Amino acid sequence: MSALLELEDVRCGYGPTSVLHGVSLAVPEGGIVSLLGANGAGKTTTLRAITGGLRWLGEIRFAGRSLRRMHTEDIVGVGIAHVPEGRGILTELTVDENLKLGAHRRKDGATAVRKDYDRVFEYFPVLRERRNLSASTLSGGEQQMLAIARAMLMQPRLMLLDEPSLGLAPLVVRSIFEIIRTFNQADHVAVLLVEQNARLALEMSTDAYVLEVGRVAVKGASAELKGNESVRRSYLGY
Amino acid sequence: MQEFLQQIVSGIASGGIFASLALALVLIYNAMGLVNFAQGEMAMLATFIAFTLVDHGVSYWIAFPVTLVVAFAGGILVQRIVIRPVERAPILTLVIVTLGLATLVNGVAGFIFGYVPRSFPSPFSAQTVNLLGAFVSYRDLGVIGVSTVVLLLIYLLLQRTTIGLTMRAAAHHPEASRLLGVHVSWMLALGWGLASAVGAVSGIMVAPILLLEPNMMQTIIIYAFAAAVLGGIESPLGAVVGGLIVGVTVNLAGAYIPFVGGDLQLAVALAIIITVLVIKPNGLFGRPSVRRV
Repeated sequence: MSALLELEDVRCGYGPTSVLHGVSLAVPEGGIVSLLGANGAGKTTTLRAITGGLRWLGEIRFAGRSLRRMHTEDIVGVGIAHVPEGRGILTELTVDENLKLGAHRRKDGATAVRKDYDRVFEYFPVLRERRNLSASTLSGGEQQMLAIARAMLMQPRLMLLDEPSLGLAPLVVRSIFEIIRTFNQADHVAVLLVEQNARLALEMSTDAYVLEVGRVAVKGASAELKGNESVRRSYLGY
Repeated sequence: MQEFLQQIVSGIASGGIFASLALALVLIYNAMGLVNFAQGEMAMLATFIAFTLVDHGVSYWIAFPVTLVVAFAGGILVQRIVIRPVERAPILTLVIVTLGLATLVNGVAGFIFGYVPRSFPSPFSAQTVNLLGAFVSYRDLGVIGVSTVVLLLIYLLLQRTTIGLTMRAAAHHPEASRLLGVHVSWMLALGWGLASAVGAVSGIMVAPILLLEPNMMQTIIIYAFAAAVLGGIESPLGAVVGGLIVGVTVNLAGAYIPFVGGDLQLAVALAIIITVLVIKPNGLFGRPSVRRV
């Protein structure tokens, strides 16, 4: 089985500081994979490398095609939606303008986009209500919803989510994760999920990787990792 | 009363000119957090292009849009060739680069066209028309009309089109915009092109009043700074409102405050800059800048 996204021995860092020391992982078509690990293990850096935010060695392939030397805006154009750390909301713009930016590169016509608008508004009714307000007026949870809705409108084949639960109330997190799962199943969109909340991430995903100082320390089926006492205690901290 | 009204209308006309150049400054400030000190000189050079065209028998109303297109392309070229290599440099470097650019453009214009002031044609007659009891020149009305149309077009482009949306996005949040597929670097270049074209409008509008020569824009740019600072340097709407306020204020001050006259009008603009920076540094429409420590 060839994976949708493949990382092979990826090494990179910021300036002289190396962060990833050879990370290999794979996300299958339509699958949900979680990437776990402590602060500073290199989770966010891995995502940034995938979307061209920094230079890397090794190989990253998406749908069989190398992403080497591609610019971020073009990588995004081939079907990867990256919801970055801090959500990447454009607070100077309205909610609607944020959503429009998500869909602005699509070429499948206004009717299809409108249909998807209706769908994301069904997932997140609050965004329809706040449509014409400045995005800066949204609460943290609503901003996270906006970021995910915007990513959905990009019609991606793969979604990279960087800590969607950060700073949100548990109930909000639950509902957001539910919607991500629904979207994954309905549209067959693969998800690479970076999370601090390991318990939740393992529940969601089929496979999981645990990073430790820039290397994959453990990998396996999520159900297995969840059941493995020693992995849980030494890496996941619950 | 009648004279007062006339002063206001001609203040609005100069305000339109200031507003155009101020808007050019704001467009670039939004895109790069930088005041482009070469904006006035670029406008002056564009005006010389319009002058050359008209001088060779091209109709004014053809020369005008052609010049805007050339200025637009020129702005993009300047961004690609001069600014892009130093894009990530410290702000002081960028400031020096735009100052150098100003000197360069000024020198080039002087070298090619000389420093003899030339009269630039206005398509509007200098005759006056009675408007609600005030005698207003067609020239002032023309300037007001042209500035209004240009500013309106820019507004519609930025607020109502997808390309305008991506330009605003790229200016405010380059990193997040890239992740949404926005070609940030090209949007910045587009911003420079647009600013250069809007600036050119101000140059072409002011040339019939001031006489065209390489140093023509050096006072106008001060008024434009005043307008942009007054409006809040980040706000396009602020630039327009600021431009009108500065235009009217300076005109009224020149007419009614005896010691100001025609000589100290520039000092009024400088006083506006200082007052705004001291009392309300974010201007009328600017947002207070918050910095996390």
